[in-house]
Amino acid sequence: MKDREIDDILKKAAPASLDLDPLVLERIGVSIKSSLGPVRPLPPVWLMTAGLILVCAAVSLAGAARMGFFGFARMSLLERALVFPALGLLGCLAAVSFVHQMIPASRRRVSPGALLALGSAALLAVFAYLFRDYHTKDFVSAGIACLRTGLVHAIPAGLLCWLVLRRGFAVNAVSAGLIAGTLGGLAGVGMLELHCPNFEAAHILVWHTAVVPVSAALGAFVGWALRFRAR
Amino acid sequence: MHSGENLELLMARYQHGDFAAATTLIDQISPRLHRFFLAKSMSRADAADLLQETWLRIHKIRHTYRPGEPALPWFYAIARHIRVDHYRKSVRAAAGERELEKMTKGASPRPELASELQALLAPLSESQREVIAMLKVEGMSLEEVARATSSSVGSVKQKVHRAYKKLRETLAVTALRKFRSGELA
Repeated sequence: MKDREIDDILKKAAPASLDLDPLVLERIGVSIKSSLGPVRPLPPVWLMTAGLILVCAAVSLAGAARMGFFGFARMSLLERALVFPALGLLGCLAAVSFVHQMIPASRRRVSPGALLALGSAALLAVFAYLFRDYHTKDFVSAGIACLRTGLVHAIPAGLLCWLVLRRGFAVNAVSAGLIAGTLGGLAGVGMLELHCPNFEAAHILVWHTAVVPVSAALGAFVGWALRFRAR
Repeated sequence: MHSGENLELLMARYQHGDFAAATTLIDQISPRLHRFFLAKSMSRADAADLLQETWLRIHKIRHTYRPGEPALPWFYAIARHIRVDHYRKSVRAAAGERELEKMTKGASPRPELASELQALLAPLSESQREVIAMLKVEGMSLEEVARATSSSVGSVKQKVHRAYKKLRETLAVTALRKFRSGELA
């Protein structure tokens, strides 16, 4: 059977329900008339993206300023030149994706889940290339402290980003939460890279990178909870 | 394929508070959205309720439409969101009803609108049914369906390909059965 034949069968089987009760249409018109007024459309995508990047950068810098730029001071020029542009690029991608999540029927090139996987993999690749100290000291205790510090900055960054885009509407709250969490997580990693002077490969690969998926999971959970509450 | 060529223009006027544009949009889009809801195994009354709910949501978030962007996928994205919410609520309600049925034994069956299309699309997954309904019944383009379903064009193409494969198999089996029953008769 050819595709065209299936098309014909589908068209014939489609419900011919274009005879909608005029009363329903009238009722809809009446219901919106009372609150009909001019509205201001959302700002351009680039402006909202820039706003999100600014928020994330501000949270990272404020956190590092409060706790000290020890990591940045210890980094070589190459490490600075690779780590921060990589974080910036991933942050831009996550910010664009988040903006598109908050605009219904916006064009999507990468799904939030794929972006999270890509972001985590890219961070792992950059960290694995740059940090070659394979000693481990206080792996768990130092790691948990860094994960906690990263999340303490990731959560407000994600929430502030959500606040920036509160005029938008997420048709999928879980995906929007996931990408907001990813963006916040990148802000958290940025803060850790500025602050943490522990350059052990295992520490950075496990505990610094973990901030992104953990924060994304928290974001997705918040999105799910909001959707559940809205029902 | 669209019932109105100037949906984007009407939408921009609606954002400026033009009631005539709003009513024209309601007249043009509602029958399509109603059919979209009907294609999802829904009664006419439920579809009309969801249509009203969709318009209230559209009205509330009309500022999220970006002038110059295709308007049709924007409407469908919101309708889809409302339908998914309704589906989740009904699943929870059905679970509650099942519990009640167990206790009372013998509740009256709910009236369902079983159309030929629903029967045809029954073997497909929910996401495949949705894509086929938008693409083949509503006449939307791949790009429009991708926008409305928050996915990529490649993902929509893949779903259509898999759905057609399944439909081809189902239709072949049906044709064979009909042929055999004809032979036996």
